[in-house]
Amino acid sequence: MNLIWKLLRRHISVGQLAGFFLADLVGTVIVLCGIQIYSDMAPMLSGSDGLLGNDYIVISKPVKQLGSLMGRSAAHFSESDIDDLKAQPFARNVGEFRSSQYGVYLGLPGVFATDMFFESVPDRFIDVTTDEWRFDLSKRDIPIILPRNYLNLYNFGFAQTKGLPQLSEGVSQSISFDIELSGSGRTEHFKGHVAGFSDRLNTVLVPESFMEWANDRFAPSKSALASRLIVEVENPADESIAAYLQQRGYEVENNAADNSKIGFLLKIVVSVVMAIGLIISILAIYILTLSIYLLLQKNTDKLENLSLLGYSARRIAAPYSRLTVTLNVAIMLLAISAVYFVREAYMTRVAATLGGASQTGFLPTIIAGALLTAVVVTFDSIVIRRKINSIASKR
Amino acid sequence: MKLITLDSVVPEIFAKRKDLRSDIWLAPVTFERGKRYLVEAASGSGKSSLCSFLYGQRGDYRGRISFDGDDISRFGRGRWCDVRRRELSMLFQELRLFPELTAWENVQIKNRIENTQSDSTIESWFEALGIADKRKARVALMSYGQQQRVALMRALCQPFDFLLLDEPVSHLDEENGRLMCDIILQEASRRGAGIISTSIGRHLDMEYDKVLSL
Repeated sequence: MNLIWKLLRRHISVGQLAGFFLADLVGTVIVLCGIQIYSDMAPMLSGSDGLLGNDYIVISKPVKQLGSLMGRSAAHFSESDIDDLKAQPFARNVGEFRSSQYGVYLGLPGVFATDMFFESVPDRFIDVTTDEWRFDLSKRDIPIILPRNYLNLYNFGFAQTKGLPQLSEGVSQSISFDIELSGSGRTEHFKGHVAGFSDRLNTVLVPESFMEWANDRFAPSKSALASRLIVEVENPADESIAAYLQQRGYEVENNAADNSKIGFLLKIVVSVVMAIGLIISILAIYILTLSIYLLLQKNTDKLENLSLLGYSARRIAAPYSRLTVTLNVAIMLLAISAVYFVREAYMTRVAATLGGASQTGFLPTIIAGALLTAVVVTFDSIVIRRKINSIASKR
Repeated sequence: MKLITLDSVVPEIFAKRKDLRSDIWLAPVTFERGKRYLVEAASGSGKSSLCSFLYGQRGDYRGRISFDGDDISRFGRGRWCDVRRRELSMLFQELRLFPELTAWENVQIKNRIENTQSDSTIESWFEALGIADKRKARVALMSYGQQQRVALMRALCQPFDFLLLDEPVSHLDEENGRLMCDIILQEASRRGAGIISTSIGRHLDMEYDKVLSL
């Protein structure tokens, strides 16, 4: 057996080391669980195919009753509002909703006819891919995109009570409407058809190019301010989105900013949990440091004699360093396996309830664990070396 | 290392004494490699202090001590470590053995640093010094005279240019002192090393090149 170890293992307190081992294990498991849960859950909130995924949010200003009655355009976004929003780090793209400034009358001969409105957004914000999304003036045929729930409204509400046939998406797209546009003293007739259904945009959409042409033609004197904005965001779980909207007093359609709020809450909860784990770990490491200090103190004579025999501080420290490395690595391996089983348990539940597996895997825990061990072992080594040096250089 | 030089060295506590009459304190002293010195001292004259200064344990002196011209007060931890491994070996008056280790382990803990002596050489010393049967006994259970012999063997388990012996035979009878002397001379001459031995009464019975009184 190593003689140095035989000498220096005296006075090692198994009780203290066991106390450290358990406490540090608990603390480390909590810290690593926090990291792993966060890295598993965060992608579910961001990412367009995520659980609550929605890279686009539609915002508007609240409609104030008095302002609307007086005909003021308080609910419109000004240039500076839009520039400010574009400058936000979470905003990747900002598109304006333009609304028709002219009269729209839409009908299906013999079935129904109604006053209508159109809105348009830049094409890149539209989630329907179709070749028909073009306005050709010579054909006088306007492609329209409707929200998908309009079709449901018609099929399950309107059609049933009126005794009309229910329509599939395909069939509904083959129906041709009559459209009458009027304004600025003229009236013109067009055809129109449904080019697709959108899950993202809750309005009656026409191509932006048509909107510009029609506003010019039927309402040249009116300026078309944006009433709503569509924002493509980097990460819907970014808590700064909710904070910004709250501060500016904007309203969000479809609770799309909920991700941001949930992301914020997730961060807070995980931070609190990790802080508790860290505190436990730090206290445990403190116990270990004290225990080793005490050990060195009790072995002062031996350490001094070894130094006088020509043993370097590094060689004297080696058994203690080995002890701390062994303890800490053992703790980390146990903690990582514990987190592995915890993760298995919650991921099967998450997969069963919410569907979809995490893409991040187990790597964050392993990296964090390795880093944590490296930090603790380095800290301990420094403490041990300093103490031994102070004993060895005593004259 | 060829020379140990003391230049006006005096322990701090003696610095104000007017009646100091010594061959070493405040005097120019040179110890040469290959020669044998006996430092005779009365109790309280600073004999152990001298050994502690030379071995780098203490620095509470005035004047200058140098090894081959290098001021030892400037040596760092690493340099002292090297000196204690390869240049200077010390038999401590208080022995500084590890009571929980056996006699054999106490010798080996030093020998393993530089792997200087073979097991058979050490075994032959145990035989010669009459404590072969104590090899596996814990040092705590041995008499002081026996421990002194173990400490000597340990001191010889390294390369050295000077061997510092602080009262090496204080607890040994004449016969054992002579046996010890043989081994010391043999090892010192094999290395061409110098010997600096202190004594407050009995001393190793050998021919000294110089006797200094402290």
